[in-house]
Parts: sequence; C-alpha cells; structure tokens
Amino acid sequence: MQDSLIALLAGLAVVGGLFAFFWPEKGLLARWRRIRLLTSRVLHEDALKHIQKQDLNRRPASLQSVAGALGLDSNRAVQLVADLEGQGLIRHDEDGLRLTHEGRQVAMNVIRAHRLWEQYLAENTGFSQSEWHPMADQYEHQFSSEELDALAGSLGNPLFDPHGDPIPSREGQVFEHNAVPLTALEQDQSGRIVHVGDEPEMVAAQINAEGLLPGMLLHVSEKTTNRIRFWTNGEEHILAPVVAASISVQLLEEERESRPVGTATYLHELAQGQTGRVVQLLPRLRGAERRRLLDLGMLPGTLVRAELRSPVGDPVAYRVRGALIALRHDQARHIQVNLIKEEA
Amino acid sequence: MNNTQTVTADEILRSAQELRAEVGVDFHEKLVEAVYTDAARLADRAVTRPDQKARFDLDATIDRIVTDRRWGFLLMILLFTLVLWITIEGANVPSRMIANLLLDTIHPWLKSLAAAISMPWWLDGLLIDGMYLATAWVVSVMLPPMAIFFPLFTLLEDFGYLPRVSFNLDALFRRAGAHGKQALSMMMGFGCNAAGVVATRIIDSPRERLIAIITNNFALCNGRWPTQIMIATVFIGGLVPAHLAGLISAASVVGVALLGVGFTFLVSWFLSRTMLRGEVSTFSLELPPYRPPRFWQTIYTSLIDRTIYVLWRAIVFAMPAGAAIWLVANITIGGTSIAEYIINFVNPFGVLLGLNGVILLAYIVAIPANEIVIPTILMLTVLVTGVDTGAGAGVMFELESGADMLSLFTAGGWTLLTAVNLMLFSLVHNPCSTTIFTIYKETGSAKWTTVAALLPVVMGFGLTFFLAQIWRLLAAL
Amino acid sequence: MAPSDGCEGCPAHNAANLLKLGVDMQDWNYVVALAGNPNTGKSTVFNALTGLRQHTGNWPGKTVSRAEGGFEFGSARYKIVDLPGTYSLLATSLDEQVARNFILFGQPDVTIVVVDASRLERNLNLALQVMEITDRVVVCLNLIDEAERHGLKVDERRLARDLGVPVIPTVARYNRGMDELVKAIHEVATGEVRPRPFKVRSTTGVLKSALEKLEREILQLYPELPNVRWVALRLLDGDEDIIRALRSGELGNLFQMEQPVEEQRQTLMAEGS
Repeated sequence: MQDSLIALLAGLAVVGGLFAFFWPEKGLLARWRRIRLLTSRVLHEDALKHIQKQDLNRRPASLQSVAGALGLDSNRAVQLVADLEGQGLIRHDEDGLRLTHEGRQVAMNVIRAHRLWEQYLAENTGFSQSEWHPMADQYEHQFSSEELDALAGSLGNPLFDPHGDPIPSREGQVFEHNAVPLTALEQDQSGRIVHVGDEPEMVAAQINAEGLLPGMLLHVSEKTTNRIRFWTNGEEHILAPVVAASISVQLLEEERESRPVGTATYLHELAQGQTGRVVQLLPRLRGAERRRLLDLGMLPGTLVRAELRSPVGDPVAYRVRGALIALRHDQARHIQVNLIKEEA
Repeated sequence: MNNTQTVTADEILRSAQELRAEVGVDFHEKLVEAVYTDAARLADRAVTRPDQKARFDLDATIDRIVTDRRWGFLLMILLFTLVLWITIEGANVPSRMIANLLLDTIHPWLKSLAAAISMPWWLDGLLIDGMYLATAWVVSVMLPPMAIFFPLFTLLEDFGYLPRVSFNLDALFRRAGAHGKQALSMMMGFGCNAAGVVATRIIDSPRERLIAIITNNFALCNGRWPTQIMIATVFIGGLVPAHLAGLISAASVVGVALLGVGFTFLVSWFLSRTMLRGEVSTFSLELPPYRPPRFWQTIYTSLIDRTIYVLWRAIVFAMPAGAAIWLVANITIGGTSIAEYIINFVNPFGVLLGLNGVILLAYIVAIPANEIVIPTILMLTVLVTGVDTGAGAGVMFELESGADMLSLFTAGGWTLLTAVNLMLFSLVHNPCSTTIFTIYKETGSAKWTTVAALLPVVMGFGLTFFLAQIWRLLAAL
Repeated sequence: MAPSDGCEGCPAHNAANLLKLGVDMQDWNYVVALAGNPNTGKSTVFNALTGLRQHTGNWPGKTVSRAEGGFEFGSARYKIVDLPGTYSLLATSLDEQVARNFILFGQPDVTIVVVDASRLERNLNLALQVMEITDRVVVCLNLIDEAERHGLKVDERRLARDLGVPVIPTVARYNRGMDELVKAIHEVATGEVRPRPFKVRSTTGVLKSALEKLEREILQLYPELPNVRWVALRLLDGDEDIIRALRSGELGNLFQMEQPVEEQRQTLMAEGS
C-alpha cells in the first residue's frame, strides 16, 4: 500500500511538473523562450523601430524615449545607443536621435517583417486578432530577408497588412491605398474602409470606440459642414470631419442592390424558409474562410434562403445558388443580409 | 510588332504592383463577383424550371425526417447500430472459415512440407511460424469485417445520408472544437483507423482535419474488438453470475468503446485550444441531393478502394512483425530467449502500470497490427510460465475455451486489474504502424505524425498508472 | 491563324512541363485534365472513362493526392489526370494551386470540366475560370438525371453556344453520354473542333482597366502567350508561381496553339494606343 501511495504521489508530481513546464505563457518553457529571444538583435531592431516611429509622428526620439519604449535602465540604454551609433545606424542632431540611411533600411525591414507576419497570422492561421500583434513582435526579429521574401511570396505578395497599413517591399517601396478620406464622400455614396489612422490618439480612440474597422462597408446618409453621418453594419455613426478625415475609404464603383443602410439583419437570424439578400461579409470573416464563402457564391447581392435547421438549431443549411450549404451561427452572424419580404 | 518597345519582366512586375494598389484590397472579391455575374447569367439562359413548385420534393421530405430533433438521432443510432451488428455478426462465419483454412489447414500443411524438404528449423520457424502465421492471423481477423463494414458505409455515403449525420452532430463536435464531418471519420475508424485517417480528407478545414486525424485512434478499431471481447468475457464476465455474464461483458466492451468516444471529444477539445490553436479553421458543409446508390458498383469500388488497400498495407506490416515475434521468442542467449530478457527488463514498469512485461512486449512487437496482440500475449505467457497448452512454445496461437485462458493468465500472474488495464491500454495506446504510416502520408508532417503516435501512448501510460495506484490503494483499505 | 499552328491533329501539351509536374507522356498521345467542383461526380466520370486502368499517387512534392488513368480512342492513347476537386482556381489553397498550375503550365490537350447540372451557376464559376486559362475545354454536364428529378431542364445546346465549347450531357453513374464525351475529347484534342470559349466580361472599373493595361505589357514581352488575361489576373493577385515564371522566362515556353493571337493582340494594341 505504501508503495502505491508513493507511486501515486510521484506520478502526480510528474504531471504537475509537466504542467509547470509546458503551461502557455507562464510555464518555464515559455519563459525560457522569451528570455532567449531578448538578444541584442532584438534590442537593436526595436530601438531603430522606435526612432523610426517617432520620426514618422514628427516627435523627437531621445535616450529617454528609447529607454522608456524598450523598458531598459539608463545605463543599458546609453550602451545600446552608443552601439547603434558605432554601427552607423543612428546619429545625433539638435532634435535628438535620427536614423541614418542604413538605419532606416533596417527599420523598414523590421516593419516589413512585422506587417508580413501580421498578414500571415490573419490569413493563414487561426489565431485571434488580439494575438497577431504580440506574436508578430516576436517573429519580426527572427527571420532573414530571404525567408521574408518566401513568406511574402506564399502570401501572394501583399501590399497591406490586416490593419490596412502598407507593407514595404523588399526595396523599401510603400504603396498608398487608392482611397479618399471619408470626408470626400458625398451623400448616398458607399465605400469600404481600407485604413484607420492611429494618430492623433484622441481621434483613434473615438474611431475605435465606434467599432469602425478596415474592410467594413459604409454608406453616407448625410453630410454637412460640421458632421458626416453614415451607416455601417446596422449602426449609424456621426463623426466630426476632423475625425472622419483619418478614415480612408475606397469608393464602391458599382451601384449595389443591397446597401448597408438601416438596421442590419444577419444570416443566422433568418427563420426557416426566410430569404435574404447578402449585403456584405464582415471583415471578421477572413482568410480561407472568407474565400470559401465567396467561392460558394456567397457574394453581395446573392439571395440566400434558410432551409434546414439541424436538431440543435446550429448549424443551419442555406440554399445558395442552388446548393444546400450548412453554416454555423458563428459564421452566419458575420454575413449581413437584407430580409426579402415574402409576397403573400 | 517590331516597332513596339520591349518591356522587361521586372517592369511588368512593377506596374503590376502599382495596379494592385490601385485596384484595392478587395481585388479577390471583385474578381469573384465578376465571374459569378457571368456564370449566373449563362446559367439563367440555359436552365428552365418548367414546374417549379408543383412537384413533391422528396429530398426536402427526407431531409426533414433525418434532421428532425427526435427522429433524426434515433434513426442515426439505429442505422449505426445496425451497421455494426451486421459487421460483427456477419464477419463471424467467414472469419472462422478463413481461420480454418489459413491456420488449421494450410499452416500444418506448410509445416509438413517444410519437414519433407528438410528445411532448417530456424528458416521453417521464421517463415511459417513467424511471417506466415502473423499474416494469416491479420487477414482472417481483418478481412471479413472490413469487407462488410466498408461497403455498407460506402452505400450510406453514396446515398447522401452521411453528410446529414455530420449536419446533425456538428453541434456536438463544434463544442469540442472539431468538425461535424469528424463523426464520419470516427465511424470509419471503428472499422479501421488507417481508413478513418484517409476518410478525414472530406474535412477541408486544416485544423479540424488534424484534430480528426490525431484523435481517430480513439475509435476502437476492428483489430481491437477481439481483444476487448476476449478479456471482458474471461475476466469481467467471470465476476457475475453465469446468466448475466454475457450481458455484463458486452456492456463493458461497449463501455470501453464509448470511453473512446469520450476521449475523442476530450482530446479534440484539448488540441483545438492548445497545439492546434494556430491552424486555420473554416466550416462549410455541403448537403448534396440524395442519390439512389448503385449497389454492386458501390460494393465493388469500396472493396477495391478501401478494403484491399487497407488489407495490403496491413499485410506489408504484419510480415516483418511476424518475423520479429518469432525471433524474439526463439533466439536464446545462454538458454534464455530474447523475449524473456525483454520481459524481465520491462516487467517492473508494466507492473507499475497495472499490466506486466508480457503485455508491454506484446504491444511493442505487435505495433504493426493490433490483431496479433492476443496471440502474442498467449505465446509469451506460455513462454514465461511454461504451462503446456498443446501448441509448440514460441508459436502464436489462440485458445477456444475461456476457462483454459483464465487458468493460463492466472498462472501468468494476471488479476482483474491487469484485465481492466489491458482493456484500457488496448483503447488508449499508439496507433498501429499502418495507421502511423497513413497519418504521415496524409499530413506530410513528421511533427503531427509524432504527436499522433505519442500522445495516446503517453495518455495510456498515465491512465493505467493512476488507475493501478488508486486500485491498489483501495484494495489495501 | 497563328503561325505556330503547323500541324493538324498534333498534340498541344507541353511535354517538358508535364514531366516536371510528374506526368510522363512517353507512351501517350494526348493528355486530358479533369477538373470539377467537389460533389459533382467527378470521380465517377473519371472511373467511367478509365475503367480499372488507373494509378494513384501524390502530386510531386505535395500532399495532394492524384489519380491517373487512360483510354484509347481510334488509334490514339489518352492519359487522364484527375485534378483536385475545387470550387475555384483563384485562391491560395494547395489544391487550387495544383489545379491551376497544371492547366497553365502542363497545357493539357483537353481539359474536361465536370459540372453538376442542378447547380449550374456555381459550377460554371469554375468552368469560366478554367476557360480563362485554356481554350481546349470540354464541359461534361453531369447528373442531368438528378436535375430533371428536381424539375430543371438544361438546354445544353444553348449552353454550348454561349460558352463556346462543347457541352456533353452525361449521367456518369449509368455510363450515359460517355461515348459522346470521349468523342468530344477526341475532336478537341485533334483540333477537329476548336473551341472559342466565352471570356469573363463582367469586370468593371479599375479592375477592368488594370487588367487591360497589364495584358498589353505582357503581350509586348510574350506576344505568343495564349492566356494573357489569366496571367495578368494572377499577377494582380501576386501569385508567386506566375511571378517566378515571368522572371525566368518560362512563360515564353507556353505556346499559342491555335487561337488567332494576332487578332487578339491587335485589338488590345488598338485599345491601348
């Protein structure tokens, strides 16, 4: 009896040990990985990225701001900046720290890596949106430029990341969206949000609070000199022009039968036998999932009829272009439709 | 043509990049819309619907019944039970016939032939008692159920019923992070895990497909049912009065199979939230119209595509296993066979797991096919205990009578714990090598193959270990 | 008529590229690719055409499985390559990549697109995409019995006229229409029938003008390229395989078979100037 008790306890200890080792984020393995990642390459690249960002936002970068952004004490920050200066990547001037040409190249490459990885995570993995940024922050330092080219190739050489930010090419070339600020839209025009500016912070915070994301369709219902009023999926937003100006919109060229006006209905809300006309697939549907739905013909303007409920009510089978396709609520709730009234 | 200035590939690529920015991020959507617009127009011109509503819609009626809240599940359970019953019942007779032919007729004949041409004993043993016998065993146990199960399954598939099963069960699988179609690959796994792994091809979402592949092993395959049934009959049936013995042992086998289903969900849930979190997940399930199945054609193709294929792979793996089993049992060093050395070496570990060295060795050498686990265990037990059962030592065999088996096992030091843990371990251990090979071919990834091979065996060790310790603690109280 | 079209009835496939794609054409006269949506009875058509003489394996370097088989008609031997069943050829999945690259680079003598008569709209989506890559298309309008059972009538002659390619109604499960299918394959392979497939025209706005601009540039570099618009489309999608083929000049090996390039090229040039 004593033997089995000891064995049992030993077994439990082994299981506990394994958990402590493998536990995501807090486990020993995860910790060890994190520590190993903090190499000088990471510090160098993060510092360059920080200076580049400050530069883009027209704010001076300094020793203090580098130390603050990277969480270093001043001794190590001084050491780091001296290193970078020694390598000819940054220089001092009266405004503070500046990137040299070489330094900018390195910084651009890191940004390229970061955005490529975000695009990869968004399109080719199942990680959730909140995980992309921190993961990309790790991956951006780990790959050679050849590996990044291969990654870009496998992704179809994307020009923009999932947030709509441009991905610099290998040569550092950056493409602009073929877009206009939301303020340029007239009443009754529709467009697709392609980018939401993150500066100034006050504006970004308001846009964020309104839930406006790249990929959404919008339709301008009213425009005056001091405000712009528009519908997105089922909600009407009112923004001041100064805020609206930092939303970039790509105009919809063709007139659509279904416009995102008025309260929205979503596919999963259709009762059995009801028909809806697709307005848009929300940006939450992305990557392979979105493409599959498009391939099945789930396009704006398509008529979709809820035909068959599974015993539990989820999934529901919909008639789409002659075929019966079952979708889960989790997908259908991201497909906006206009309910078609049945004729008596 | 001569006066046009030439462009270089790089220039084309550059302007392509610029144009891409101009077209915008919804390029793909625009393109699909354009193609579909034309497709819809062309289809509209070509298709007429003369009598659209008048007709009685058979498909919709069948669909309403098979996806009904009550009837749907009932029908599903009935059909699947029927398929399993036909398989098990129907396989009995041909299995025995093939066993009679291959094991009781051809095997002695081969032996006497070998004796007649005075083949050296080691060659005779290796070829006939080792390779031939193992292969014959696999064929006789495996072929009949597969030849019945797969065609039945294919008929249901061909008719269009199986997608409805996925549709009905998706809610259940969704909660475990899996795809409704996993219900089908799991059912196929009850026939053969290798075939079940191939069947996961119908799952087009990468994450859910990997889940289905890795967990398919928890569907108690055809090769493991005999082990379960035998151990349950000998040990668990023996615990209760004779008139209840059949019922209880059957219930315990079904219980083990259901436990396997439970593990499927549990492990699916675990994988989808940990290791496989990052894999892409999509869901779409097409419910094709019902089609009257073409009976003979279906049976023919399913025999060719599934049965023969699986059988062939099993044979390829069983032959070397047969050789290995014979060798470890018959090569002696200093008067003791290799098998005994290994058994003595792993026995303490086996005992810790509530099993024993014989069982562990049997599972090591029987990786190629679960069908030969029981014959191997019997052979090794005889080797270790020295009990005479009539068959030559170092040769695989099976016993007809439960009492004989019980006395042999008792001589080998087996207890009820050993039996229960063997049943558990037979459910939760590494997939057979045919399945592992199939997993590798299907995933093309050494990483996922390793996970699929190691995860269940580690689970099996854990499960039996903890059960054994708790059992012993309780027994001592 | 294009100058490269010297020989009536000669195979059109690209044997060198096919070999790279894992298809050895040594004992065969023609190669036929079989495309189609999942659930359209594509494999039934494949079985009906090939009988038992088939061989399964994987695409070279990919985990995508492939079946190959063959049949004889007249004195010619036809090899059939079963492409993965896909809904589209435009996305990034491995299956679609394999299928579109085979049709583009292998230049099969004939590509059969199996379409489900009762889901014509969705199936034509794929057929139209295939017809962007190759002219040598035969549409196998399968499952017509099922369509009839659901009260649908498909006018295959009108469809054939609209699509500009042969459309053969079949019920592959019962071997109905297979002789006609084989005959149509033969006619297209030997050049007796020259399909002039419908090309997608509903592209609008920037997409349309971007495509046209890119097509003109590509034609300047590769005046003989048979499927400029497809190449342009793929470039706009950033398809790495096409980019590589463009850089390496491999695209130049894809010859125009029998379509009047000159005509096509000149209209484009005219629009551009």
